[in-house]
Amino acid sequence: MGGLEHATPGILLVLIGACVLLYRELSRGSKGYVHHIRRIAGVDAIEGAVGRCAEQGRSVVFTTALTDVGPVLFACLGVLHSIAKRVAQYKLKLQVPQYSPEAMALVEDTVREAYREVGRANAFDPESIRFLSSEQFAFASGYMGLMHREKAGAAFMFGVFAAEALVLAEAGQQVGARQVAASVSPEQVAFFICTCDYTLIGEELFGASAYMSREPVQVATLAAQDRFKLFFIALIIVGVFLATLRQWMPELGGYMPHLILLKDWSAFGW
Amino acid sequence: MVATQSGDTRARVIRFFTFLGGIYFFVYFVLPEPLVEELGMKAHHEQISNGFIVVGSMAIGLGLFNLVRTHGARCVFARPGWMNSLSLLLGLFVTVGVMSLQWIHSMKSSGEVQDVQMIGEFASKIGDDARGKSGIVDPSTGVVLREYASQKLGKIALHIAGDQEIVADVAHEVLRKDLASRIEDLRKDEWYLGTSSDLSALTLFTQKSNELASSYSVLMQAEASQATIQRLYNFLYDGLFNQLGSAMFALLGVYIAAAAYRAFRVRTLESALMMTAAVVVMLGQISFGKEIYEEMPAIRQWLLEVPNSAAFRAIRLGAGIAGLMLAIRMWLSIESTSFSSEKK
Repeated sequence: MGGLEHATPGILLVLIGACVLLYRELSRGSKGYVHHIRRIAGVDAIEGAVGRCAEQGRSVVFTTALTDVGPVLFACLGVLHSIAKRVAQYKLKLQVPQYSPEAMALVEDTVREAYREVGRANAFDPESIRFLSSEQFAFASGYMGLMHREKAGAAFMFGVFAAEALVLAEAGQQVGARQVAASVSPEQVAFFICTCDYTLIGEELFGASAYMSREPVQVATLAAQDRFKLFFIALIIVGVFLATLRQWMPELGGYMPHLILLKDWSAFGW
Repeated sequence: MVATQSGDTRARVIRFFTFLGGIYFFVYFVLPEPLVEELGMKAHHEQISNGFIVVGSMAIGLGLFNLVRTHGARCVFARPGWMNSLSLLLGLFVTVGVMSLQWIHSMKSSGEVQDVQMIGEFASKIGDDARGKSGIVDPSTGVVLREYASQKLGKIALHIAGDQEIVADVAHEVLRKDLASRIEDLRKDEWYLGTSSDLSALTLFTQKSNELASSYSVLMQAEASQATIQRLYNFLYDGLFNQLGSAMFALLGVYIAAAAYRAFRVRTLESALMMTAAVVVMLGQISFGKEIYEEMPAIRQWLLEVPNSAAFRAIRLGAGIAGLMLAIRMWLSIESTSFSSEKK
């Protein structure tokens, strides 16, 4: 099914529901309610990888690869912020090769901010945020070169990836870097599982930032998205039940949850 | 104190514009299509969307600046690897230069073609005007058109003569001969010579002019493809850039084998499951698989369509919902420190 250009009343209701849930969780967070976040081994490994770099005196590489400005990039920036703070504390070298010039400005701001927060603003090197190319494989070859020159001790690949994912991950493998990857691209997850030490799958990328920072706003968002997901899981279960029931009662056809959600405004007189 | 105030103002301005940009797209999405059309949003939506793309594309300058700053400094201070940086910068400037010259050249060619197309368009306009006045062609505009056509025909004839000395292959010769015969034909045209000024003669002249313009366009395109700057562009883009990209892509073949070797070593139950699934999918893909077991392609199809799709959908659903929540937070600028000077 292609994307919708305009929301149906059902989708509008869902969007309003999402806003209400987010508002509720943010209010609870502001009142001091602390949500429990389950342990994510991949995120715990990030700290270990940075610590290993400190022991070996090797640099840390973080890439958002093909991620453009959008929610995924902001989720990656949260993780980058936490990593950059640790890198600054341990006086390590951080390299953030860039594919998207738009994202680069935000990345630079995030890293600079992290260095400032730990009181090492002077140690921030703008050249560590390096634009490589906006061409997929030119970026991949630039990243490979960087990994081999720097002999990075840890590589973090967070964001949107395509065919270059395996090239990037193999480059890290070749120099013996500890690698943690997180991708919302399901097709690339398999490649990361094969080549990286830890892989965060799908929404874990969004959770990683909240897990690392424990910032109330981020934790509240995580809680809201979990509740929202529960709603969808319930919807799927109801849908499966009704679809099964429809085998015996065909007149139920119009009452499928997804059909109700997709009923457009014309059904309401518009 | 002053710095903090300016920082706060900056943060407020960014929040305001983020909200403004977001609310437009939100309203456009949630309103019913008939209402969007009624409000006139539909008519301008493409322009507004393009505007956002244009603003985004300005960031390319940032990338360029970063490249020049990083690699320029390395060259100037002769830091390790300065030769690589120099070759990158040379490559960058040569490519920009060649692409700019190629663009100027193609603009010039299309401008010349448009000038010739103008003869036919002018004649057609005169014909349309005449039809509105019971078929009487205005003699004064006819004189202007003849003068314009004569000037352009002379220019094309000169171009052909000059072109003959530069490009001398058979294909160009055929095009040149065709164009020369069309010029001669047009020069003998009754309306062009002024021996006939009725509407049917003008229509015939319009048709011949359009055919001439189309032949001229073909010749110019053929010439442009042979021009030195175009050849240089082809060498850089098709010859180097695309080939290097393909070479990088080809590395995937080797890397997939290396990654598969690591992943398929049966050490745990999960890796055993993964290897079994991969072997079944691979065997189902090739004709040999059917020889082993007839249902192999069907099992492969089931693996891809049922368990694999289910996992993909779960990942997409989770990531989609998380993205939606984060998007709402970004839109309403419910952020902690990004873009803001409010320090902890």
